Amino acid sequence: MLISCSADNNTIKIKGSDTEVNLAVQLAESFHTFEPGIFVSISGGGSGLGISSLLNGTGDIANSSRSINTGETLLFKKRDIKIDSFIFAQDAIAFVVAADLPIDSISINDLTHLLNGDYKNWSVITGKDMPVNIYGRQSNSGTHDFIKKKLGIDFSRYAKQMNGNAQILEAIKTDHSGVGYVGAGYVAHGGMHGIKVLSIYSKINEKSVSPLNARVIASGDYFFQRPLFQYYKAGSFEKIKPFIDFEKSDLGKKIIESAGYYPVNK
Amino acid sequence: MLLYNSAAFFADVKPVDFFTGSQWDPESAKGKYSIAPLLVSTGLVTLGAMLIAVPLGIFTAAFLSELAHPKLKNILKPFIEMLAAIPSVAIGFLGIVLVGPGIAKIFGLANGLNALNGAVLLSVMALPTIITISEDAINAVPQSHREASLALVANKWETLFKVTIPAALPGLIAAVMLGLGRALGETMTVLMATGNAAVLPTGFLDSVRTITATIAIEMGEVPFQTTHYFALFAIAVVLFLITLAINLAGEYFVNRLRKFHA
Repeated sequence: MLISCSADNNTIKIKGSDTEVNLAVQLAESFHTFEPGIFVSISGGGSGLGISSLLNGTGDIANSSRSINTGETLLFKKRDIKIDSFIFAQDAIAFVVAADLPIDSISINDLTHLLNGDYKNWSVITGKDMPVNIYGRQSNSGTHDFIKKKLGIDFSRYAKQMNGNAQILEAIKTDHSGVGYVGAGYVAHGGMHGIKVLSIYSKINEKSVSPLNARVIASGDYFFQRPLFQYYKAGSFEKIKPFIDFEKSDLGKKIIESAGYYPVNK
Repeated sequence: MLLYNSAAFFADVKPVDFFTGSQWDPESAKGKYSIAPLLVSTGLVTLGAMLIAVPLGIFTAAFLSELAHPKLKNILKPFIEMLAAIPSVAIGFLGIVLVGPGIAKIFGLANGLNALNGAVLLSVMALPTIITISEDAINAVPQSHREASLALVANKWETLFKVTIPAALPGLIAAVMLGLGRALGETMTVLMATGNAAVLPTGFLDSVRTITATIAIEMGEVPFQTTHYFALFAIAVVLFLITLAINLAGEYFVNRLRKFHA
């Protein structure tokens, strides 16, 4: 008990986004071999959970796949806690469908109508009469929030809310009429068997863009890409600095890349 | 705490809207807080589970206590009790990879994440409770009842259906009530297996979102002390009242059984 208490200062507690949790674990593992004196503990739970853990002092770094919202900023102000943020990687959201759906790319306009429930049938897009099944994340997910804001829609009420990226992929594999969204990192490593990632284009005759193309993401041309934030209290920067420095290092960048995300080049 | 927070909710949202609306969508701009779709979902899944588990459970119990060879009983009983020890996530996982696709195939649906899937899984979870308590109830029927029935040239089946089961009825009802409580309160399994679309379901093949799943999904994320936060307490109170009523009813029947045999 005493030992665990005294070790507390050497433990950086990271909480938050489920999207970022796999990446953070990989980073932390190599960080630990690099700097054995410092322990890093990581848990998921959603972006909002991470930010509220900063607020109540149970976490040091909050992983967040969305920027902090006004309500949360207000809470931090109320308690007089100053926070800073750091963008450690770029994420792209991939839209996935079953491999036998006869389209390879989709326009942003069509996607909007699909997800808000205007198109209840694939016939508008593919010409094949098949009801649309939407597999999304739960409302506590940063990914859910991101798509909603980016497209400016409310999701169809018939959208299923799945428990995580892996469950969405599992469902799309068996459902030939499904459409879902997951972090691109999950598709690259979750195996592509039975599913297909749609390329996105904004206007007809424009080139469509795949989220699996690193160069496109680096230039910021994919529509559904977003920065992954790490929030921390300004006061505890010294404590977490070694980890953040590691993320910026070449090794850290390599890990970010191999996990299916895109490092920020600065 | 529970009551205080839900009181705060009803200060924001009219109880009439809460019970009569048709949409649960706290994230939308207007913030729609209606328990109706959640309540119907919970009811649908639980009803389905009971339709499967009650006949199956009671007849299994009757078979075990009246007809089964003692050796067979010694094998079956631990097996049934072991069902109760399977964690709910594991059952939920089975729902995703096994029962769900199975249902999709049988009914020709695109996916099997619906109320029926949840009901099948919950019935598996409620079975051990129902079987164990029903069997106790049937065992508790005095041997003299059966002997009297047999003496009046009733055969084994007539004795079972017309004497033993009616005599054990209070206990059987108690078993059903406790099984019902188990099914109502289950969270993880339904969360994983029913798709969680918060619309008013129209049948067993629709995706549903139960009260428990809603609390589990939204509690981790909801901004502290907002209407949405209080709303989760309010739906929790409703669930609590329902399970309380069911448990009290179960208790009442168990006590009646005891008096009956005392």
